[in-house]
Amino acid sequence: MKARLCVFAMGLMAAAVPMLAHHSFSAEFDSSKPITLKGNVTKIDWLNPHIWIYLDVKDDAGKVAHWQCEGGPPNTLTRNGWTKNDLKSGDAVTINGTLAKDASNTCNASQVSLPDGRRVLAGSSNPDAKQ
Amino acid sequence: MKAPAYASFLAAASAAAVVTVGLLFLTPGPVAGQDAGKGGGKAAGKGGAKGGGGYQPPAGPTPRLANGKPDFSGFWQRPYSPDMSAGATDLNGKPYPPEDPQHRTVALDPANAPAAGRGGGGRGARVLPYTALGAQDWKTYDPSNGDYTGACLPFGLMRSINSPDPLQIMQSTTFFAELFEQNTWFHVFPIDGRGHTNGTPTWFGDSIGKWDGDTLVVETNNFNGRTRLDTNGHGHSDQLVLTERWTRTDLGHIDYEMRIHDPKFYTEDWKNNRQFLLRTDQQIMEYSCEENNKSLYEGRIKAPKFDQP
Repeated sequence: MKARLCVFAMGLMAAAVPMLAHHSFSAEFDSSKPITLKGNVTKIDWLNPHIWIYLDVKDDAGKVAHWQCEGGPPNTLTRNGWTKNDLKSGDAVTINGTLAKDASNTCNASQVSLPDGRRVLAGSSNPDAKQ
Repeated sequence: MKAPAYASFLAAASAAAVVTVGLLFLTPGPVAGQDAGKGGGKAAGKGGAKGGGGYQPPAGPTPRLANGKPDFSGFWQRPYSPDMSAGATDLNGKPYPPEDPQHRTVALDPANAPAAGRGGGGRGARVLPYTALGAQDWKTYDPSNGDYTGACLPFGLMRSINSPDPLQIMQSTTFFAELFEQNTWFHVFPIDGRGHTNGTPTWFGDSIGKWDGDTLVVETNNFNGRTRLDTNGHGHSDQLVLTERWTRTDLGHIDYEMRIHDPKFYTEDWKNNRQFLLRTDQQIMEYSCEENNKSLYEGRIKAPKFDQP
């Protein structure tokens, strides 16, 4: 997990703000623990109160770790023009986010990018997105 | 993972409630503005633009009911207000001093943390006129220790108003119905001059509306004391009395004021002022908080524990 799973404990990611939640962000996630995941999507839950993106992340030895990352509320994403088909199983993605406090392979995704750099399911990570 | 039984109950109750409210308004007055103009189209769009997307509401005069009173019916977009202190002033409009984030023992959400230069809806936190009890509550509140909203329990009236999810209003000469998209909750109260019911304390409280000219003044008391004012956790007691002043200034806008009176937690009354925007290009959507609340079901969020009254 060393090479492809990069954890940046630095201020750079502090500018990446978490998405609007139905609860307090800090109830679940640790804003001092940003993370970048590169992997392949295995499933999408397009459900309230948040979508969830499941992905497999390989380390240098080829060992696969299963991760899950919380996305925005589906209603907000829908209003911003996204659908559950904008990200499919098998898609390679880079997710910038924040680790859960419980040390599980769980994150809050503030940005989801495809290999060509296009951001998908965007508009949910900005606290101004619904204003 | 199977949801707890109470979560299933809450989901069913929410759905039934919306049907009930809908039946109350089968013969409503004019649903002002809902069909007027199609401005904006699909806001934002792929690529991460804002939800507002340059949308402009339709122009026109304030709609009115048959009795001549303003009709607030419509689908309203409101500013997300995760920190009410940010836009807080005293009743004369004077802002409170800026708050030092280090004042707290628990860090604020980074999304909602204070930032200079932006008030009235989320940032630029200020020091509210706390009593000793209120200050202690604010300094020590820790959402990771059972934020009730993480369990999909009712946000309560204040936090529902502060939510970024839209609000459908349906109004007759007798009743005012707030249909919150957030978790598909509703709040219905009389506006025909009757008094408080003084019943069992509730999450959304006991509201009555009275007219002050063209402004609807809604007073709410009898809260159960289990809610917080906002996402960042400003507290209140069971003595909270909330006074909202609703003024539909024209077809597309509502001027909204929320006054907080709670002598247990605050030494003086204070208020927030906001503007709501009519959206004619969208409609309310279902929001079942319980259907996949993995964070609770998988134990990353703690369910709150309340003292019995």
